[in-house]
Amino acid sequence: MGIEMTSNFWPAEDSSRIPYAVFTDPELYARESKRLFAGPHWNYLCLDAEIRDPGQYVVSYIGERQVVVQRTEDGDVVAFLNSCAHRGAQLVRRMRGTATSHTCAYHQWCFSDRGDLLGVPQQRGVKGQGGMPKDFDKSKHGLRRIRVESYKGLVFGTFSDETPPLYDYLGPKIRPEIDRIFDRPVKVLGYYRQVIPANWKLYLENVKDPYHAGLLHLFHVTFGIYRPTMSGRVTMDESKGHSVLRTADIDEEQADVNSTYAGIDKYRTDYSLRDPSLFDVKPDYDDKVTNMIMTIFPNLMLGQVANTFQTRHVRPKGLNEFELYWTYLGFEDDDAEATEGKLRQSNFVGPAGYISLEDGEAGRLVQSGVNRREPDNCSTVQMGGRGAIEDQDTLATEVAVRGFWKCYSEAMGLARAQEQA
Amino acid sequence: MMNAVCDTSSPVQDLLERYVDCLDEDRLEEWPELFLENGLYKILSRENEAMGLPAPLVYYYSRGMMEDRVTALRDALTYEFVYSRHLITNTRISARDDIIEASSNFVIFHTCEEGRSKTYAVGRYRDVIVETDDGPKFKKRTVILDTFAVQNLIAAPL
Ligand code: FES
Ligand SMILES: [Fe+2]
Repeated sequence: MGIEMTSNFWPAEDSSRIPYAVFTDPELYARESKRLFAGPHWNYLCLDAEIRDPGQYVVSYIGERQVVVQRTEDGDVVAFLNSCAHRGAQLVRRMRGTATSHTCAYHQWCFSDRGDLLGVPQQRGVKGQGGMPKDFDKSKHGLRRIRVESYKGLVFGTFSDETPPLYDYLGPKIRPEIDRIFDRPVKVLGYYRQVIPANWKLYLENVKDPYHAGLLHLFHVTFGIYRPTMSGRVTMDESKGHSVLRTADIDEEQADVNSTYAGIDKYRTDYSLRDPSLFDVKPDYDDKVTNMIMTIFPNLMLGQVANTFQTRHVRPKGLNEFELYWTYLGFEDDDAEATEGKLRQSNFVGPAGYISLEDGEAGRLVQSGVNRREPDNCSTVQMGGRGAIEDQDTLATEVAVRGFWKCYSEAMGLARAQEQA
Repeated sequence: MMNAVCDTSSPVQDLLERYVDCLDEDRLEEWPELFLENGLYKILSRENEAMGLPAPLVYYYSRGMMEDRVTALRDALTYEFVYSRHLITNTRISARDDIIEASSNFVIFHTCEEGRSKTYAVGRYRDVIVETDDGPKFKKRTVILDTFAVQNLIAAPL
């Protein structure tokens, strides 16, 4: 422990070599809690669709901190830390519900749906004795409020006053991809939770890495949901922390598929399904996009795999574990057939899905491997090239992984190689 | 010397136990055979079930899909090797006309290659079973998964 964080942390200025300490060092993990999860970043909380009615609330997370996201009686969305202003007890005790005020179980302090302190039992004492000091001012003892903004029904929160408006935080290259999905009202079809024995950032690396998608996942490759020979693009915002990996089933030549997969048994022409009806679902869009994986810094993934749409919230649970919290979506205007198609294709994703279960295994394998390494040993992230971190029109690339580490490094205030000189 | 053992289990009880045996003894190929050709196998998280949300963890509506899962487990998917052990309790079986309904609680333990066991999943099976010429088969098995914070992943059927 105690690796030097202020100088010499990154051996390569272009994030092409990543020290394994990022996945194993408890000091860095503690620093993330302050700098990423309490710093000037927007953290995904939930969907508007989950708290549509006045009084509805859900309990979500910013990092490991539990946060209550509440629709007030007036119709606003507010959020506060799920910890009582008196002596810190967990205040809201169910993960979702409807309430226009919240009373703490311990000493019955009562808070409004905006987190203001309304009542303190025995404030003036009992039989003229005891009670709170005369100058106790309830207005100064509300719950810890969290700034909230939403974009197209995605609700985000931040502890920091310095976080720029969400609209700008997402930026002009990310917003259109959100619009593509969220311009129509969505409905929640269900949730999945997957507890992966790995550092949370390994999942961000995974979903920013189109290189693995055509090599680990036979299903992607063999059934044409995703192949690097399809038309693909990696786009990043200015900070390089958000990214979009987009794959469309166009411009693919069989000869390229054959040569790309020569000697690799993940593309199997002899592999067929006895019941292929999983694939027999009408596309939701005409754009031939089969796979769109977006990440929003620090810890949200949202996207499309075939006909499935979901948010995946990466919830850290200590250095070596995270919960991947999936919200599995349909559209309000889906007819019965479209909904059935999405339920069928749930077989691709989630903890048991043909594709996503393998990402759980990948996380486990990497954490287990890097735990055996010295903290200053490094991964090699150079697919797609070294140097400048720019958008690329290829899927044979790890450039978005480098983008994540660049943004992470800046957010964490970790010195870069160049700055030591 | 005893050379005959009295089999006290009913054919339905036998189906429930064969299900467990084929999974725990790595005879996955036998698992689809316990279902009707158009049988249904579904895993639902208890959380979704409680909220009335339809998204399943696994949703196979034909024996072919179950066979596809077995083939994928054998040759295609990347997942951790484990031994499994199911314990089944509180089995209830009731029959009305030709339809048999059954339900039972389960616990599944996983043991890794280095011999450490852990509780992997807890839940309840809800079954609809029908008699066929080939003995009773599942028309429907719904797995209500209490351990809906899935421990990493679900590879083999529960
Ligand atoms: S801790 Fe909440 S009222 Fe005392
Ligand atoms: Fe993947």
